[in-house]
Amino acid sequence: MTFVMAVCVAACVGVSVYLLLGRDLKGVAMGVFLLGHGANLSIMAMSGSPVLPHDKGLSPSNLKAAPVLGKHVPDPALAGMVDPLPQALVLTAIVIGFAVMGFLLTLLIITNRSTGTLVVDRLADEPVCTTRTDTRSEPFQPAGALS
Amino acid sequence: MTSPLFKTAARLIVPLTLLFAAYIALRGHNSPGGGFIGGLMVSVALILYRLAHGRHAILRLLPFHPRVLVALGLGIAYATALIPLLFGRPLLTSLVIDGFYIGLGQRVHFASALFFDVGVLLVVVGVTVGMIQRLSEEVDAQALRGRKTGASAALADESASSPAAAPAPAGGDFK
Amino acid sequence: MAPPGLLLLAVVAPALTGLATLFLPRVAVTPRVLLAAAGPAFAFVLVLSHLGAYGVAGHGEPDTHGARIHHTAASPTAAAEGLDAHHPAPVRLASPPAGTDSIAWVPDLDLNLAFLADGLGGFFALLVAGIGVLIVLYARGYFGGATDQARADLYRFYPTLGFFASAMLGVVLADYTLLTLVFWELTSISSFLLIGWNRYDKPALKLAKQAFFTTGLGGMFLLGGIGLLGHHTGHWRWSELLHHAAELDWAAGTLRCAFLLMFVGAASKSAQWPLHFWLPGAMAAPTPVSAYLHSATMVKAGVFLVGRMLPLFVLPGEGVGLTIWPGLITWLGAVTMLYGGVTAVNQHDLKRIFAYTTVSQLGLLMTMYGLAGFGFVYGGKAYAAAIDLDITQIANHAFYKAPLFITAGAIGHYLSRSLPDLHGAFYKFPAICATMLLAGYALAAGPGTVSFQAKELFLYAVYHAADGHPWLWIILAMTVATAACNVAIFVRLLTTLLGLPGSMGKGKADDGHQDHHADADDHHHAHEPEPGLGGALIWLPAVPLVALQYVGGLAPGVWDRLFGGFERFGYYFDHGVPSLLYALTHPGVPLYASGLAIVLGVLLGLSGLLRGQHTDVHDVIYPAVESGTVGLGRGLFELLQNGSLRVYLTVVLLTLTACLGVAAWQDPGMVAPVAAEAARAFELPLGAMVGALVVVTALLLPVFSSRIVRVLILGSCGFTVVAMYVVYRAPDLALTQLMVEIIGVLLFVLVLRLLPEPPASERGRPVGRVWRAAVGAAVGLALGWITLVCAHAEPAALLGEWFSQYSYHGPALYDAAGEKVGYARGGGGKNVVNVILVDFRGFDTLGEISVLGLAALGVWSMLPGRRRELSRDTATEATLS
Repeated sequence: MTFVMAVCVAACVGVSVYLLLGRDLKGVAMGVFLLGHGANLSIMAMSGSPVLPHDKGLSPSNLKAAPVLGKHVPDPALAGMVDPLPQALVLTAIVIGFAVMGFLLTLLIITNRSTGTLVVDRLADEPVCTTRTDTRSEPFQPAGALS
Repeated sequence: MTSPLFKTAARLIVPLTLLFAAYIALRGHNSPGGGFIGGLMVSVALILYRLAHGRHAILRLLPFHPRVLVALGLGIAYATALIPLLFGRPLLTSLVIDGFYIGLGQRVHFASALFFDVGVLLVVVGVTVGMIQRLSEEVDAQALRGRKTGASAALADESASSPAAAPAPAGGDFK
Repeated sequence: MAPPGLLLLAVVAPALTGLATLFLPRVAVTPRVLLAAAGPAFAFVLVLSHLGAYGVAGHGEPDTHGARIHHTAASPTAAAEGLDAHHPAPVRLASPPAGTDSIAWVPDLDLNLAFLADGLGGFFALLVAGIGVLIVLYARGYFGGATDQARADLYRFYPTLGFFASAMLGVVLADYTLLTLVFWELTSISSFLLIGWNRYDKPALKLAKQAFFTTGLGGMFLLGGIGLLGHHTGHWRWSELLHHAAELDWAAGTLRCAFLLMFVGAASKSAQWPLHFWLPGAMAAPTPVSAYLHSATMVKAGVFLVGRMLPLFVLPGEGVGLTIWPGLITWLGAVTMLYGGVTAVNQHDLKRIFAYTTVSQLGLLMTMYGLAGFGFVYGGKAYAAAIDLDITQIANHAFYKAPLFITAGAIGHYLSRSLPDLHGAFYKFPAICATMLLAGYALAAGPGTVSFQAKELFLYAVYHAADGHPWLWIILAMTVATAACNVAIFVRLLTTLLGLPGSMGKGKADDGHQDHHADADDHHHAHEPEPGLGGALIWLPAVPLVALQYVGGLAPGVWDRLFGGFERFGYYFDHGVPSLLYALTHPGVPLYASGLAIVLGVLLGLSGLLRGQHTDVHDVIYPAVESGTVGLGRGLFELLQNGSLRVYLTVVLLTLTACLGVAAWQDPGMVAPVAAEAARAFELPLGAMVGALVVVTALLLPVFSSRIVRVLILGSCGFTVVAMYVVYRAPDLALTQLMVEIIGVLLFVLVLRLLPEPPASERGRPVGRVWRAAVGAAVGLALGWITLVCAHAEPAALLGEWFSQYSYHGPALYDAAGEKVGYARGGGGKNVVNVILVDFRGFDTLGEISVLGLAALGVWSMLPGRRRELSRDTATEATLS
């Protein structure tokens, strides 16, 4: 199972690098999103295979238990349960990744407005438009004027 | 998308989703769930509501800026974190009460980390709804302006950098 | 041991008084001069009193020890009687000197404040301090004192000069090797400030930089050498090293390496060929600086260092020592000597002439120390080393070179520094020119000056050493040639200044190249002589030094009484400096060589040979190296920092992949897991299917170019990842990812509506796409591999085990009787993931939600609110419709 996970990581990271190296910033944003998937899967893989090692059967019932303790005795050994720590780390990573994605996409909008392009190579020579002739971008207002 | 069918369905689905989100969030300490999931679920419900009923509906439902939610959530979370310091315990020490009588002979298991989770929930709702709202307002404003300036202006705009004139993708109208 | 206080105070005194002059009002010229001169004078007195109290050996037995030295020095006959045939010629100081106590500074680095005022260090300290006083006075005469400009110059000059004097005193007095280095670098810095004195003269600044980088780089070599030496021997004090010199492991390559590194440092500071180019360039400095730095002090630091190393590397005892010493130093010094001498004749600018003679003389001093590596047999007696009275040689050079610079500056101040322009100048400025000619006579090593005897000493050393090593006859010839050049320079000075036939004459056109150097102090040109003592100070400080030359030449007894106590080596001339009479009445090869040099020099001086202005080919070394370095840096910068994000990313990622490749190649442990895990790839068919879906959706993403399709595929990729989390038994993750995926796709769609579709021309070229795909595949495989290898490893302990154990209750607690009394403290929750999030790692989560809030704040502040605008518009729309 770890092998499958590794292949997934390779695919996600590979495609995301392909997108990151592209000229279009939208593609770069997608690449970042996909890179997040790759990283999360990689961390998940660290908890080892969810298949119970002693059992040769193939039905899903032979999987380890989710990291939720049973009614009575806490099972201290991880023999029958997947490792909860990577899951906690990934959970944090997912939510942070989402927030950062929102921030990144907003940056794209701002970049497009001030430079008029989203092509990576052009951004380097494009002078940032300080006089806002663009009708869509208005002078900076304090955010959140309530209706 | 603002079909009557969708509107009616949304009217039913949204309260149920909110209820489920509350359930998920509250029992998160003991079974799958928790503040993050609850918060995201609430956000999905609110966004669904917005899709069905438009911008004004969400403003009626949430008549304040989402940053209030963020501030409230962060306040609760930090308070939960800092209060143990007053009792000489380390930061974020959780208080666990195993049998908390709520009357009628019922007892609940309770951990003060729940408050922390509620704070997380509020922050997540505030951030998510706030971002989506701000972006969709932007789209609305753009569409509005496109309608006002008319086709000729939009054509002239196209050469430069006109998202307004660009054909709207098949994602659709979020109003 | 002696207390270090006196010497520490002596070291800092010039800098302190230099700084103190800053507090005087600008108009107060005379008090400023007096205060600035007080620093070096005080240092002089302090060093002298330290030497008086503890002697050059530093053992604190002033009476007996001092008496012994003065005995041998003062009465040559008595010493000659004591020289038995079977008694090998003694080194003057039988036992190595002792340093002072140390004041802790950085004890962990073996860098403390301790001083060593032995013969060499003590003499140098007195030289630096003494000439420092004279230079302070000379600066008053040189800069003047009447105009605002002069006052501003003096205001700025004295603190810098004090800084330099302190640094130089530190170099020569430091006992800790690293302390020597610290002061060594301080001399580089302060000399940089002094050479680049004229802040508006760009070429001068360039030359100052050249001097700084050359000597500074030498300092780096010195650091390496000192580090190796200290590491190898375990001693970090010169005095300790000298004590234990005989115990060193002479065969060790480390020791040889340390010596070579230190010698490179010394050679760069002392302007040895081919690193000498900075010294003539440094003549851009005002003349007081040249007179101080380039006659007596800074350039001698390298000679000092070699002199310091000599008893360590060469003379620790019989049959041991560094074998590469004589060959390397002797020959390098000899080449420098000859090259400097010949080039000096070819100059017109007085300061450049004297600069090249300085280079020449530094080469001679190096050769002198190099010859110490040769033992010789003479008159049936064996001598351990061919070196005599090195302090006399050093003093000799300082005592004629400083006056030469001083008078050159003076004459340049009033007339010109270009020799052809000075035709008949003697009749206008008799005092200055007389002083210069007297010093020039010493430069030519004329009989009657101590310079003559010093040259004889050197020639004796070469002659004796050449007895056993025939190659050294070449050095004798080189010395004669150099001496002839010096004589020629004197002859030309004499004829020109006096306006005699055969002079350089007026009307020789200066070609433009070196005019700059001659005019470096343009704004001082054509000054009217200043009346009174202030004006006389422009040449008067040279007089005592010249006088010492003639004292040494005519009354060697007095010279010995003054300087004999500092001498460390006396093998052949054990009884002190030989008198002129002795030299003339013991004819031999050295005397004939001297005579030959004088005859040749006079002929050369009167002939028309070597009269042009010669450009030193080595002047191109530094600019070439500098522009090469800068060009290389610029090329690398343009190559690496080309502003393309994609290139940076490619370089970083490919480096990462290459590192992994190397690791896999070196470590079979990186390869074995692949096969093991591949065998178990299909243990869970459901998982394999979900994995295939993840891969397929991910790979589909770049295939489509329509952005909405891309967003949908991205979303579906996210949903397959959700399924993967389900397979991996992570319900919390699956739920979270599901929600995030829904909102994320929404986010993407919204944003893409706000962004333009790029024109078709902006799409990537096919070549670029192949390249990107290749990089992507490499990096993806590398990271997949890392994942596989890391996940395959089985750590001894899992942190998750502790978390799950303490998630609800802690483990059960038992009392002494084995009864269960309760549980340890736990998190109170059964969902371990959630307990980790809000309890065990709650601090993490707290930070995370803060980041969430910040990200939202960023979005809100970047996109201003549209609510009011929208509500207004919809209101009008409503009324319209």
